[in-house]
Amino acid sequence: MTEDCATCPANASLAQMGVDVSNFDYLIALAGNPNTGKSTVFNALTGLRQHTGNWPGKTVTRAEGGYQFQNKRYKLVDLPGTYSLLSASQDEEIARNFILFGQPDCTVVVNDATCLERNLNLVLQVLEITDRAVVVVNLMDEARRKDIAVDVRALARELGVPVVAAAARSGEGLGDILAAVRDVVTGQASVQPKRVQAHPALESAIRDLLPLIEQAAPGLPNPRWVALRLLDGDLRIRQALLSGELSEIAARQRQAVRGFSRKIALQGAQ
Amino acid sequence: MTNNATPAERLLAQADLLRQALPGDFRDTLVQTLYHEAESMAEKAVQQGGRKRWDWDSTVDRLLTSPIFGLPLMLAILSLIFWLTIAGANVPSAMLAEGFFWVEAQGVALFTSLGIPWWITGFLWDGVFRGLGWVISVMLPPMAIFFPLFTFLEDLGYLPRVAFNMDWLFKKAGAHGKQSLTMAMGFGCNAAGIIATRVIDSPRERLIAILTNNFVPCNGRFPTLIMLATVFVAASFPPALTSVIAAGSVVTVVVIGIIFTLVISGVLSRTVLRGEASAFSLELPPFRRPNLRQILYTSLIDRTIFVLWRAIQTAAPAGAAIWLLANIYVGDTSLAWHVANALQPLGNLVGLDGVILLAYIIAIPANEIVVPTMMMMYLGVGMMTDMPAYSEMHTMLVGQYGWTTLTAVNLMLFSLLHNPCATTIMTMWKETRSLKWTTLGALGPLVIAFAVTFLVAVVARAFGLG
Amino acid sequence: MDNVVLGVVIVGSIGAIWVVLPRIGALALWRRWRDDRERHLAEDALKFIHAREWRGGRPATLEGLAGALGLPSRRVVFLAKRLETRGLIRSAAGGFRLTIEGERLALSVIRAHRLWERFLVDEARMPLADVHAEAERREHDADAAKLDALETLLGHPTVDPHGDPIPTGRGELARVESRPLTDWPTGQPAQIVHLEDEPPALFAQIAAEGLRPGQIVRVVEATPERLTLSDGGKTFALAPVLAANIFVAEAPAAGETVSRRLTALRRGETALVGALDQGLQGFTRRRLLDLGLTPGARITAELPSMLGDPVAYRVRGTLIALRRDQAEQVLINEAEPASQGV
Ligand SMILES: Nc1nc2c(ncn2[C@@H]2O[C@H](COP(=O)(O)OP(=O)(O)OP(=O)(O)O)[C@@H](O)[C@H]2O)c(=O)[nH]1
Ligand SMILES: [Mg+2]
Repeated sequence: MTEDCATCPANASLAQMGVDVSNFDYLIALAGNPNTGKSTVFNALTGLRQHTGNWPGKTVTRAEGGYQFQNKRYKLVDLPGTYSLLSASQDEEIARNFILFGQPDCTVVVNDATCLERNLNLVLQVLEITDRAVVVVNLMDEARRKDIAVDVRALARELGVPVVAAAARSGEGLGDILAAVRDVVTGQASVQPKRVQAHPALESAIRDLLPLIEQAAPGLPNPRWVALRLLDGDLRIRQALLSGELSEIAARQRQAVRGFSRKIALQGAQ
Repeated sequence: MTNNATPAERLLAQADLLRQALPGDFRDTLVQTLYHEAESMAEKAVQQGGRKRWDWDSTVDRLLTSPIFGLPLMLAILSLIFWLTIAGANVPSAMLAEGFFWVEAQGVALFTSLGIPWWITGFLWDGVFRGLGWVISVMLPPMAIFFPLFTFLEDLGYLPRVAFNMDWLFKKAGAHGKQSLTMAMGFGCNAAGIIATRVIDSPRERLIAILTNNFVPCNGRFPTLIMLATVFVAASFPPALTSVIAAGSVVTVVVIGIIFTLVISGVLSRTVLRGEASAFSLELPPFRRPNLRQILYTSLIDRTIFVLWRAIQTAAPAGAAIWLLANIYVGDTSLAWHVANALQPLGNLVGLDGVILLAYIIAIPANEIVVPTMMMMYLGVGMMTDMPAYSEMHTMLVGQYGWTTLTAVNLMLFSLLHNPCATTIMTMWKETRSLKWTTLGALGPLVIAFAVTFLVAVVARAFGLG
Repeated sequence: MDNVVLGVVIVGSIGAIWVVLPRIGALALWRRWRDDRERHLAEDALKFIHAREWRGGRPATLEGLAGALGLPSRRVVFLAKRLETRGLIRSAAGGFRLTIEGERLALSVIRAHRLWERFLVDEARMPLADVHAEAERREHDADAAKLDALETLLGHPTVDPHGDPIPTGRGELARVESRPLTDWPTGQPAQIVHLEDEPPALFAQIAAEGLRPGQIVRVVEATPERLTLSDGGKTFALAPVLAANIFVAEAPAAGETVSRRLTALRRGETALVGALDQGLQGFTRRRLLDLGLTPGARITAELPSMLGDPVAYRVRGTLIALRRDQAEQVLINEAEPASQGV
């Protein structure tokens, strides 16, 4: 998809709803490496004006906005960029906690087409947590300028989730993003995310922990990831587990998101 | 483990046991596995063509980050921005001011003809409206030029290069290289700069960045600096050079601010926030063509209008307060002059005067209104019907109120160093949640401002200046 | 006159009250200070005895204890008696030994000490030469829950920055076989496993040389005056007193191929990342890995800045600026000349 999609049919049913996220049907998270254009995608879809800037770390707070697509309301959350979900710096923690515990209906991982290798590292980590993901290969215009071609079909086959090429600033590929997100949240897209096999010792330790996790926090959507974090000695996850927060938090986070206050969005847009 | 351990406790105990059995470098291996997978995927999906056109980028990069030209270029770019701002804002500022005074004159005439009591007319037109008029005409033009230029650089990708060039200085000060990014944001608004410190991972270095952000003059303070630079420093040069000299002086003040930031950061990391510079890794993104529409929107609507709106909100009450103070007489002097006279000895000590200090007190909610407040005091509310040209202002301040070059220099220094505005202090509190650090961040600069201006005054007077 | 008397009485009684006040009174403060000092001494004594037993299994002598604690032997006798009645140590032939309980206490202090050292190096980024003294101060308020939290925060390290194993929360201490470098055969690769941190003056010299636990070195030449070491890139000349304070063991086979550090890469040169130095731990290590500096990644030095610190490196298609201290801890291998960038 290379033509400007502002007029194609999928876009025609997009209604930007700014900070109005009342009664949303689906919750969508925007994650990705720093400086890959997450806020630009966010702005294009919601019509808001999150500040963007060409340096990693521009967005440090969570921002929320809404859009309507084919009669469904979506709430979009723009997260700070992260290199990984393994380390725990402050701004990375905001993003990590939201993807982990916010239980978005779909996580859109925005990537820089000119350095995919580094970006895919994060995509693989997100896919450990959730299988409801859409991978956006953004900055395609920059990639073309540098004579880099990205085969999104091949990538989709490898990753097992929908992959969309885009250049968010000029609106290219927005329609595809909307459609892919719709397919994921409605279950129309077949997702079989790539799970990287850890080395054998680690893999067997993870398997040992899984039944215990099921006992301690039943129904957790991503026990494998939690097992890994516990083996890594992640203090937050430990605490969340001991305080019972881990099993509660999913429900609580959803509530907080529904009881959304306009003030926060305005501050975020600041 | 005892039998009555909860499932969670059993799980944690088991995880601890398993961890000990794992090889010590299992975390490294995990990341390695992920990257290995990413590599093989990228290999299948990404094709790098033979045509490489991006040498242009790296040539520019080599120049902008050059060990020799990097810092001079940075200063040159900064100077250029200020020159464009000052040269471009001069005429629109004057026109706006004239317009506002004309409206005020009409308003006063209208009210008078309607027989409305003088004090209502005075309060509304000479107080509230004049405060607004001053703020808008002094602030709007420079901001409307400065912000787009600055956002252009930000969108281009220049800011990380600045952080790269300046890192060695911050390292010496025991601080983080990304502090310059937060300072760059501070040019717009110190509160925004303080929020931006979240990019710094180390809590110690983040606190340093929060506490010193005030030493970057925010947009609320630029008009003060620009006016002083134009009226005093540049006045003794030929008119053709005025804007160049004024820009030069503003850049000098900014550089002094940077020096203070570095020195105070260094002092902090050797005293209350002791520690070595932590690890530093900064990604330098490729240059990207800025998007002009986005730039104009962000800089004009979000930044300019936002700052201006805030200024207006404080300017109107401040204008009212000044008018009241100036028109309530105790004995045969107005309240304003009583206060100003009481502050005079202190002001004199640091090379300023009572009126300036009073203006700063009234301007605590927002620094933007310092100059307007000061001018309203000096001009005598309700007596002037026209905004004086810069040259007349010079004559008046020097002739009538005994200003000297020392007054102007110290006022610029004071404006650079003094305490942050109320919004910034609130943001400090929100980000640190610590009364101790907020207090230090609010009062520390004030002490430094007084100390520095005092020293400058003493030295200047010892040499017979001022 | 009366006023003066009254004043004196008031001030006097306020003073007297302050002296006897329960928790914040002068007496209480003094008592707490004394108890703390007493406890610190006791803990230091246990640590010393443990160290003696650990290295060589001999009991600690009275003189040794007095020397280590810097106390006259008269006071050490008192101290030992108190420890004995508390069931922490027992007299043995030629000195003192720890009881089971004493060993448990000693290990918990050692655990605190080594965890704090790890924290100070990894997270607070103190120079290695300074951490021992600071950890000496911090080891004494070793509340078990706090230590567990600290251990988790640090990612459950197994060795301290000097290479010594950290006792587990259950009081197990792994034994690492090692020999002083002076006993090591010339030419054979050795891994540094421990740097003796007492006396501080010698340790500071070792640290200043840039030698770290985990590093692989080779004795190039040994004369009675001088030991010459090489880590593949740099050479170190050490006086035998220093070398005797460096403990080494057999080097793992894989470690040998690593030869240079990233700082040695000149502008425009490309290499492969070999490994991250073992001295680099905690958040910084993870961040570098996350950025893609994993073994085998191609890395090119592109932009030096003023004074050559930081330098921007191209790795996995992005430009990353690193300060010299970090680049110093990235080990590199020669890139095979045939491979062309994709
Ligand atoms: N050429 C081009 N530039 C883009 C595109 N998308 C975003 N940008 C630019 O890339 C820069 C970064 O965009 P942001 O949206 O701020 O990136 P982000 O992912 O939100 O960054 P952080 O908040 O720092 O994590 C900005 O200067 C954008 O203008 C695109 O599709 N093409
Ligand atoms: Mg963003």
